[in-house]
Amino acid sequence: MITFVCKYTPVELFAGFGVKTTVFDKSADSSSRSDQATHANLCGFGKSLLESALAGEIPELVLVNCCDVMRRAYDVLNTQSCCRFLYLLDLPHTDGPCQIERFARSLTALQKAYAQYSGRPFNTPAFLAAFSDPPQNRAPYVAILGARTGKDLEALIATNCPYPVKNLTCVGNRQLQSPPASCYETDPDALMYGYAQNLLNQIPCRRMADKSGRRSLFLDPALRGIIYHTIQFCDYYTLEYTQAARTVSVPITKIETDYTLHNEGQLRTRIDAFNETLQVQSHFQERNHPMDHKHYFAGIDSGSTSTDAVIIDGYGNLLSTVILSTGGGAKRSADEALDQALDKAHLTGEQLSRVIATGYGRANITIGDEEITEITCHAKGAHYLCPDARTVIDIGGQDSKAIRIDASGAVKNFVMNDKCAAGTGRFLEMMARTLGLSLKALCDQGQKWQKEITISSMCTVFAESEVVSLVAQNIPVPDIIHGLDKAVATKVATLVSRVGGEDTYIITGGVAKNPGVVSAIENRLHTRLFVSDQAQICGALGAARIAAGL
Amino acid sequence: MDIIKWFGDHVSTLAGKDPVKARRLLLTGYRANTLMLKHTTQNQPSCRGEGAITLMKLMIEALSHPQNAAMVSLFIPCEPLLAAGITPYSVESIAAYLLGTRCETPFQELAAEQGMPETLCSYHRTFFGAATNGLIPPPAFMLYTNLACDGNMITFPALQDQFAIPSFFIDVPCDHTEDAVADVAGQLREMVTFIEDTTHQKIDPAALKKAVRRTRLSQTYYQTALAVSKKRRLPGSVTDEMYTALMGRCMLGSPQALDFFCTMARDISEQPVFTGKRLVWIHLIPNMQPALRQIMNDNPSVCITGLELCYDSILIPADENDPYRSMARRMVYSGYNGPARYRIDNALNVAQTTGADGCVVFAHWGCKETLGATKLMKDALEAAGYPTLILDGDGCCPANTGDGQMATRLQAFLELLEEPS
Repeated sequence: MITFVCKYTPVELFAGFGVKTTVFDKSADSSSRSDQATHANLCGFGKSLLESALAGEIPELVLVNCCDVMRRAYDVLNTQSCCRFLYLLDLPHTDGPCQIERFARSLTALQKAYAQYSGRPFNTPAFLAAFSDPPQNRAPYVAILGARTGKDLEALIATNCPYPVKNLTCVGNRQLQSPPASCYETDPDALMYGYAQNLLNQIPCRRMADKSGRRSLFLDPALRGIIYHTIQFCDYYTLEYTQAARTVSVPITKIETDYTLHNEGQLRTRIDAFNETLQVQSHFQERNHPMDHKHYFAGIDSGSTSTDAVIIDGYGNLLSTVILSTGGGAKRSADEALDQALDKAHLTGEQLSRVIATGYGRANITIGDEEITEITCHAKGAHYLCPDARTVIDIGGQDSKAIRIDASGAVKNFVMNDKCAAGTGRFLEMMARTLGLSLKALCDQGQKWQKEITISSMCTVFAESEVVSLVAQNIPVPDIIHGLDKAVATKVATLVSRVGGEDTYIITGGVAKNPGVVSAIENRLHTRLFVSDQAQICGALGAARIAAGL
Repeated sequence: MDIIKWFGDHVSTLAGKDPVKARRLLLTGYRANTLMLKHTTQNQPSCRGEGAITLMKLMIEALSHPQNAAMVSLFIPCEPLLAAGITPYSVESIAAYLLGTRCETPFQELAAEQGMPETLCSYHRTFFGAATNGLIPPPAFMLYTNLACDGNMITFPALQDQFAIPSFFIDVPCDHTEDAVADVAGQLREMVTFIEDTTHQKIDPAALKKAVRRTRLSQTYYQTALAVSKKRRLPGSVTDEMYTALMGRCMLGSPQALDFFCTMARDISEQPVFTGKRLVWIHLIPNMQPALRQIMNDNPSVCITGLELCYDSILIPADENDPYRSMARRMVYSGYNGPARYRIDNALNVAQTTGADGCVVFAHWGCKETLGATKLMKDALEAAGYPTLILDGDGCCPANTGDGQMATRLQAFLELLEEPS
């Protein structure tokens, strides 16, 4: 069994030897072997491949020099001799006649190398029989584009998607025509030339010099939405996402992973929020309660730092709000927040017609008739608080988001920060701890800055040592805090730019109460942010309004 | 007051409002710096001043006359451009100068806003951000290659769209064979035709031959200097070493590079015998990193004697009688083409040539080509008897480097070299 990693791999060639092939799509639980053999800052796919191969799990491996990581993976495996058959195929970057000819020679060399290794004869009819015409299915679908996905992530995406999902990532969209019939008969060189030509004529991956053929991936009339996947430390795809997000007419969202599902909670939020944009109608269901004072609705936002509960009546009047620390666990905090909100509103649980849970912990709390992501709920809540809002900036404890909404409060596009804490409330909490301040003191002192300080490190660990160093240099604490506020603003500005932010802006989440951060973001975006008194409960408020069908 | 920081802040602030004015300001600063360098480098070996001034003038030319400049990959042979009187500049050199001007951060942030991944090489991110901003004007055209890193295949196509300028790409096969040389030589011929068509002027074959001859002579002088460095050292800073690396790439074939390497060979032979520790530096030098500057600059007991980054450009002899194949050989047989063992061999060669006591592999954030090979390099170099440090950091983005951590690692490594073996 030949394992391969790239769609340009000549898998039909191996069929000619009567050998099966399989694409490598396993994500490793740890990267200890890979880190020992190379460096930690490689993409997770490369690390997963190295983990498996170094463990002796891949006896026959054909790599393509798709990228620097694959080239180096080959070097490492070649040095350690852990595969019985290991081959690096040189893939041209263009599909001109010279490059096709060169690639045909490379294919012939591979064919010879495998024949020599395996002792098997090559059977041309078996090779030709391995080609199959691409399926012509015009049914609506959602595409996964960008960098490869592991099978677990693909399954996660497909689970709740209202459309069939097509994996059209770098390794997924392998569509190959048979070589022309004229090549079949007598001339093996012509046959290999035709094969090389067809391999190179596929929809190009981003590594190729001419990427224009990729436009077709975004223009298919049957396309209903795009989940764009990028892998940390794989640099080929992020730019394409940003450009596509500004131009495509279907919903699109980006998810970034390290090729594992270690951050499944955040991934699920993004995927669920994307699905919500595809099936808006089901969530914003027809009102089946009369608009009156006798029906009550609750929204619970279970965040990583705080749990918020909101109760409204059928007209949308706010009856009670509660904000609690999530410290005691998501379920317990949610139960307590809802109980307190009911008490404040002089209601009992039985009087609630519908409850919607949102936030990072929404799947872990048992109350609620339905769970909806905080993306959709913040959009809904923000639209209520500021009907002119078109861009929502939500800085929560664990993550920050930029959400673009339309005039009705429906989500048009959103982006979230990646796994690291930079640009989140957690970043400020950690820096407050480093400075020996409470969060309130951090907010207060941050407004008294005199001199511009730039904290260049975005990484929380490096930023912490930068702060310690500034303190040692007797830089006034308010100036350091201002530097931290600007660091958060820089991260937020990147999200806003990637989502295609436009006026009017509203900021939600706990950090909205920090005037230093708000001001730094305003300076960075050259615009004003709408800050509501209810900014912190925006997600719960949105959930309650969705529950009420408002 | 830190005058460079002050100036850099002004440039970046102005760039946010009016990039053209910011470029003028930057050029004013660079011109002033050229004058200053003539005085500040007087007490250094002549080649150090020559390198600094030549490259400063190159930046000024690139920014002030973009219509006569070409943006190139670091590994493109530039003799045809030099023969045509066109200024070649690399992404890395412009980014290094913006870093030296302390104005790189806003451009890196702009690149991130435009969708450039933060794990991409920071030289490429800085350049992309400055070009997107408009501080870097569109050149006449661009020449690029898949050598030596993926960054080229991202930055150049993206900027080609943005600048709307013609481009030429050289696809270098990864085998070190004469077939590959013939293939690349053919592409180089097409590249010359492309340059001629784009600039509407013929490249005189005699001028190209002269440029390749200058490359051959530069190689000879540099090899001489390296051999002498086994006994002597050329005083200078880590930034001077970066200048050498840049002169050994895009400037190779120019009269200035020939003068530079000729002077270098003379300068080093006039230096006293050096008894301190010699290092071979592998990959880029983070020359603006405070820890590195503090430890290496003006340190009488340690010096960098060999640079792996440009070693292969002098290793493969140029031949003016066969200019295209000669330039093609430089690409195909580059240590950065194909398996890591070629880079390792080059590092070993330069270590032997210069009598190195140890090697530093700079694991530049974002350079997967190097990161993936760091352990292989360390193992091979140590097996050959050269203690080797893998030094993590980022050559162009201080945000990705823990300065204190770098100081500790480097200092500890130098202490290790001082230990009696």
